[in-house]
Amino acid sequence: MSAPVTAAPLPQNVFMDRWVLGPKTQRVWGLNHAIWFTLMGIGGGVFLVGRAFDVTTELGRVLGLPLVDVVSFVLIAIGGVVLIADLGRPLQAWRAFRNVKASWISWGAWADLVFLTFGGLLMLPDLEIGDSTPFSGLGWESEADGAGSVMLVLASIAAVVVMLYAGAVLARPRSIPYWHSVAVPFQFLASSLAMATATVLVLVVLDGDDVTSGQAVTLAVLSAALAVSMLLHLTTDKEAPGKKESIDRLVRGSSRTTFLFVSLLAGTALPALLALVAAAAGGARNALVVVALPLLVVGGFLLRLDTLKAGIYPPVTMPSVPARRTRG
Amino acid sequence: MTRWGMVIDVGRCIGCQACTVACKVENLSPVDAWYAPVVEYEVGEYPDARMSYLPTLCNHCTDAPCVTACPSGALRRRDDGIVLADEDRCIGSRACMAACPYGALHLFEEASGEVLGDGSRGRPSLLEPYTAAGRIPGTVSKCTYCAHRIDFGTANGLMPGVDPLATPVCVVTCPAECRIFGDLDDPDSRVSRYTAERGPREVLRPDAQTGATTAYVGLS
Repeated sequence: MSAPVTAAPLPQNVFMDRWVLGPKTQRVWGLNHAIWFTLMGIGGGVFLVGRAFDVTTELGRVLGLPLVDVVSFVLIAIGGVVLIADLGRPLQAWRAFRNVKASWISWGAWADLVFLTFGGLLMLPDLEIGDSTPFSGLGWESEADGAGSVMLVLASIAAVVVMLYAGAVLARPRSIPYWHSVAVPFQFLASSLAMATATVLVLVVLDGDDVTSGQAVTLAVLSAALAVSMLLHLTTDKEAPGKKESIDRLVRGSSRTTFLFVSLLAGTALPALLALVAAAAGGARNALVVVALPLLVVGGFLLRLDTLKAGIYPPVTMPSVPARRTRG
Repeated sequence: MTRWGMVIDVGRCIGCQACTVACKVENLSPVDAWYAPVVEYEVGEYPDARMSYLPTLCNHCTDAPCVTACPSGALRRRDDGIVLADEDRCIGSRACMAACPYGALHLFEEASGEVLGDGSRGRPSLLEPYTAAGRIPGTVSKCTYCAHRIDFGTANGLMPGVDPLATPVCVVTCPAECRIFGDLDDPDSRVSRYTAERGPREVLRPDAQTGATTAYVGLS
């Protein structure tokens, strides 16, 4: 029996490989951006959710500062460092504040700065160094007084933008059809709030308290909204050039396992179910919420990473489809 | 008001890539960055299939998504419609690259300047021609419509699109004269007359609504 014949690999033609008409996958943004998007999403959300649940001052303190705020600051700061390190010229990062008229990245940079400034000032009077509180004499005693409440409003608005802007950066240009949808910023926002809610609820559990039924329902609603949005985005305009290839990659291609099974099912739908069960089952509520947190974080990270990887440009023209005629 | 633009007659292109190489030489674009490649594609089906060629470059869009996306203001659109990248202001966020539907922006990476033909890393000195020419590693660059030639020409009484020294080098180099350049707002310019005679004027990725000033004839 003769040995199977195998074709020798063809020599690569650089021109043909590079300059052939067809869908192109974006390769400029990837892992670092997914990490940045995730950390900032959780960080901004924790700041807001802690206050929405009115638990910010109850869940322990680090150097006199509320643990919830410390977690929020650390995550956003790390996200910012990852973002800056990924730039082609990190030392020129300050220039990102320039194009506030149009660029969502500029908006995000300002939101990060406003959040870290006013959120930091807000908690500064509570800072303990040794036995002293050197900033306790500042003009604001709590979030309830005039200056404190203004800072809280500014920091809260900035926190919303911090959660939102990564999705808006992707959604604004029309270059990549899968990204150019309100679904992307909505998913990033819902995912951020769901991860942040689970984080705060785990801090509640670690503090020795019980998660309430209402808190579990909130987590279930956020996770379910995210799952529904992901499904809707996969099923609308699914034949549009570019988006078709993106959906193929997410549902049938190389991202099938991470997106469909890990992010959508295990990382979003399952936590929604767990939170729903937790709301009804008082005894196991805390345990179910603790299980939901890592699922949501892994799912949220993969949602962002796979969304980036599924960024596919359609061909610049399709010979079989007449190009639109324009006036000269 | 002058508004520079180009029309490319796809039917005339012979796929020689002379424009691609001329652009590379004129602009000393970084390694791996080709500002004006000619894309090859197949049309029809066997036995009636044939190769066709699509000369490409920055579309110098009226509503340029790269300008909108850039956080540092490094990309700007001049009054005459030319979109330029200022490498001094660029921070390397690559937001413009993601936003451009035409793949017209290129990152000059330190590593890519050192890649040799066999894929191994070469000497850092290979970067020198580019850094000496003012290229800054970590920044984005793009086609300028050969703005330096246009500016030289207009300052010296030459007519871009007519006089070779004042015309983008890809236009001057094309042996088949498939690229026509000129003032889109002047009905008597070559580019306007060509479109009127040979039209209709078509653009790439019309769904992206970029208001491209680089247009095509014979695309469909």
